[in-house]
Amino acid sequence: MTAVDTPTSSPAEGLPGGFEALFENAPCGYLTTTDGGVVTRVNETFLTWSGHRREDLVGSAFGRLLPVGDRILWSTHSAPQLGTTGGVSEVVVEVVAADRSRLPALVTATRVPARGGAEAEVRIVVFSAPERRAHEQELIAALHRVEEADDRRAAAEADARRRALEDPLTGLPNRAGLTGHLASALAGPGSPVAVLVVDLDHFTVVNESLGTPAGDELLVTVAQRLRTSVRESATVARLSADEFVVVDRCDADGARELAERLLEPLTAPVVLDGLEVVVSASIGAVVAAPGPGSAERALHDAGVAMHRAKARGRGRVEVHDPHRTDATVDRLRLLGELRRGIADGELRVHYQPRVAVHDGSVAGVEALVRWQHPVRGLLAPVEFIDLAEQSGLVRELGARVLDTAVEQAARWARDPGTPAIEVAVNLSTRQLTDPGLVGSVTATLNRHGLDPHLLVLEVTETALVNDPEAAAATLAALKDLGVGIAVDDFGTGYASLTYLQRFPVDELKIDRSFVTGLGVNDGDTAIVRTCVQLAHGVGVRAVAEGVETRAQLDALAAMGCDYVQGYFFSRPLTVQALQEWVRSR
Amino acid sequence: MSTPPAAAVSGSAAARHHVTVHGRPDGPVVLLVHGFGSDQQVWRPLLPAFTGEHRVVLVDQAGAGRFDAGTYDRERYSTLDGYADDLVDVCEELDLRDVVVVAHSVSSMIAARAALRAPERFRQLVMLAPSARYTDDPATGYDGGFSTEDVEELLASLDHNYLAWTAAVGPMIMGNPDRPELGEEFAGSFRRLHPGTARDFARATFLADSRELLTRVQVPTLVLQCRDDALAPESATREVAARLPRATLVDLDASGHCPHVSAPAETASVVLAHLPGRP
Repeated sequence: MTAVDTPTSSPAEGLPGGFEALFENAPCGYLTTTDGGVVTRVNETFLTWSGHRREDLVGSAFGRLLPVGDRILWSTHSAPQLGTTGGVSEVVVEVVAADRSRLPALVTATRVPARGGAEAEVRIVVFSAPERRAHEQELIAALHRVEEADDRRAAAEADARRRALEDPLTGLPNRAGLTGHLASALAGPGSPVAVLVVDLDHFTVVNESLGTPAGDELLVTVAQRLRTSVRESATVARLSADEFVVVDRCDADGARELAERLLEPLTAPVVLDGLEVVVSASIGAVVAAPGPGSAERALHDAGVAMHRAKARGRGRVEVHDPHRTDATVDRLRLLGELRRGIADGELRVHYQPRVAVHDGSVAGVEALVRWQHPVRGLLAPVEFIDLAEQSGLVRELGARVLDTAVEQAARWARDPGTPAIEVAVNLSTRQLTDPGLVGSVTATLNRHGLDPHLLVLEVTETALVNDPEAAAATLAALKDLGVGIAVDDFGTGYASLTYLQRFPVDELKIDRSFVTGLGVNDGDTAIVRTCVQLAHGVGVRAVAEGVETRAQLDALAAMGCDYVQGYFFSRPLTVQALQEWVRSR
Repeated sequence: MSTPPAAAVSGSAAARHHVTVHGRPDGPVVLLVHGFGSDQQVWRPLLPAFTGEHRVVLVDQAGAGRFDAGTYDRERYSTLDGYADDLVDVCEELDLRDVVVVAHSVSSMIAARAALRAPERFRQLVMLAPSARYTDDPATGYDGGFSTEDVEELLASLDHNYLAWTAAVGPMIMGNPDRPELGEEFAGSFRRLHPGTARDFARATFLADSRELLTRVQVPTLVLQCRDDALAPESATREVAARLPRATLVDLDASGHCPHVSAPAETASVVLAHLPGRP
C-alpha cells in the first residue's frame, strides 16, 4: 500500500483502476439510488450476477428488481427504516434476474443525507446468499410446523372452552355460556336487553311416563323451535332441565310480544315414542335494568315472573314490572328474614287467658306467637304463619313456641303463688304429620318437668281431615302422654261427627267467626249452639274464641259453653302483663 | 420518544382491538388506522403532533399487534368489509362522534367502507398513500402498480414475506437505535401475529376493487400522495381523489409508501392544516 504513503496521489490512484475499479468489480453487487429508490449507479458484479443491462437499470426503481412480495416489504418496511435510522442490514429478498429466475440475496443499505449541493443517496450492497435462502426455507418449514401445532392446540382449547359453555344435549349455551352472553349484551350501550325465562309445564310427567330419552328428545325439539322462532341476533340458552332463556334486544312491549309469539310453536304437538305429546310453557320476561349485577337480577326477576305465570294457570306470559313490588319477591325476602329471626330469637310468645264460664276463674291460657320484626315491629301470626307453613319453617317455629310455652307453664306450675293453669299451644298441619312430633313433645315436657295434663295441643279441623289415619295415630300417642287435645277453628272445616268420635279429643274450640255473630245472626247462633251440644254429646269441653261483648258471654253461658276467651276479658299478653292482669281481677 | 399517557379502554370491541386513547379527553376525535403488516405502534412518530389538541384513538386491526387473537374470524376478515365493521363497532361502542379518520394505505379503503356504513359518525377522512385497486385493470387502462401475475405470486409467496417482516419490522417501527430493547419488544409482539391472518389481510387487500364504492362516499376526504410510491403509484392515488365526490389531493415531498414513518413532521403538518375546525 505504498500509494497511501504518497501524499500527492489519491488512494485510488494507487490501485489498478482506482476505487472505480473496486466499485465495479467488488465481490458483491453495489447500487446507489436516490431517496426515492431510483437507481443511479450499478456495478459490473451486480450486472454479471443478475444478467441485467446497465441502461435498463439506471433510472428505474430498485424495488422493481424485487418480486412483488419483497417489493411490498421493501416499500413498507425497509425504505421507511432507511429514512428513520439511516440503514437496513441483511434483509432477505430475492432479486429477479434478467432471465426471470430468482436469485436469493441479502441486502444491506445505508442512506447518506443530502449535504451541501449533493442530494441524499442510498447505497445498497447485494450479497448472493443461496445458503441463506435454503436456511430460511428450513426456518419457514419449522415455523409452519410450530404454528400448525399451535393451531391444533388452540383449536382444542377453543373447543374445550366452547364445550364448557355449552349444553351437550341441545348445543345451546348453558348457564355459564349465557352469563357471558348476557354480561356482554348488558355491558355496552345500546337498546334495552330483554330476558325471557321459558319453562315447560309438567315436563317431569313426560320424563316419568315416557322415560328420560323421550324427555331429552322433547328438550331438543323445544331448543330447535326456540332457536328458529327468534332473531339471528338473539341468544337462546338452556339453564337447567326444562328451563330455557331467550335474550334479545327489545323493550317491555317487545319482550311480551316475543314471549307470546314463542308460546305458539312450543305448543305444537311432538311425537315421542309414537305418542303425540302436547306441551305448554310458562314464560317470565323482564327488561334488564343497567348497573352492576344486572345479569343475575334480570335472570332472577324473569324467573320470578315465570313462576307467577305458572301460578296463574301455566301456558302464559308474565312480564316483570319493576315499579310494582313483587309479592313473590316480598315473600322470599320475608322468608329469609323469618328464618334469621327465628335463629336470632325474635319470636315472642304471648298468652291469652281463657275463663271458666261458670265461675269466672282463669282456667288456662292460649300461647300465641308474635314476631318482633326489627323494622316492622311486633307482627301478628297472620303476617307470617302461612309463609312459615308453606315453606316448612313452621316446624322450627312450632318447636320454639312449644318449648317457650311449656317452660313458662312449668314455671307457673312450680310457683306456689299462682294456681296451676293449662297452657294451650297450636300445632300446624306440618307439625302434626311430622313423625318426630310425639318424641319432641315428650322431650319438651321432660326437659321442663311439666305435668302433661297442663298442656293442651290445638289442631285445626283441616289438619285432621288431610290424613285422618295418621292424625288419629299421632293424637292417640299424644293422648297417651297425658296431653290434652283441642280441635281449633271448629265449624270452619269438614270435620264430621264421625271424625270427632275417632279422634281422642278433649275440647272443641268454636271458631270466632260464629261467636261474633251470636245474637245478631240467627244462623251463627244456631251453629254455636249446635257446636256446644255436639261437644257435650261426645263428652268434651266446648270453648268459645273471640268473645268481645257481655251479650256474647251471656249467650254462651246460656248455651252451657264451658270456657271462653277473647278481648272482652283480655287480649294476648306478655307473661308479666298476664300476671298483673290475673292479680288485678 | 416519550409515550403519551394512554387511557385503557374496556368493553368488547375496544378490548378486541386493544384500543388506546391519548391526548386531550375533550378534544376532537382523531382515529388513526394502521395499514397492512404493522399495528398501532406505527403511529408513534406522528402521535405527538396530535395529542396536544386532539383526542387520539388508536386501534390494532384484526390480526395485528395486540388484537385479541381468540376472536379472529377468518370469514369476517376475508373481505375489507369485516375490518370496516370493526371500525364502526369501535366508534359506536365508544360513542365517538365527528371522527377524523387518518388511515394508511389499504386502511383508507377500510375507512371509506366504514364511512359508507355509518356516515353520521365521520367528519373527515385522511387517506395516506391510498389505492382503490392494486391490480392493473387493462380493460379500463387502470394502472394499479401490480399485474395479475404479481398479485398471484404475492398471495402464493406470503409465507416468505412474513418471516422477513418479523426480522425487519421491529427496529424500523421504533426508529430508535438508542433503545434497541423497544424494537425487540415490538418484534416480539409482531411475531405473535399469526401468518394466517396476514394472508387473509393480503388477500382481502389485493383482491379488492374499491373504485365504484368511493363515488358514494360523502364524507370530505384529504388524499395524500407520496413521491416514488411503489405500492400506491401516482396513477392509483389520483384515481382515488378523482372518484371521491369531496376529495382534496395534496402531494407530499415525502417519498415512499410510509410518509407517517419517514416524514412524520411533514405528514402531521399537512394533515393538521386540512383538519376542520372544532365541531
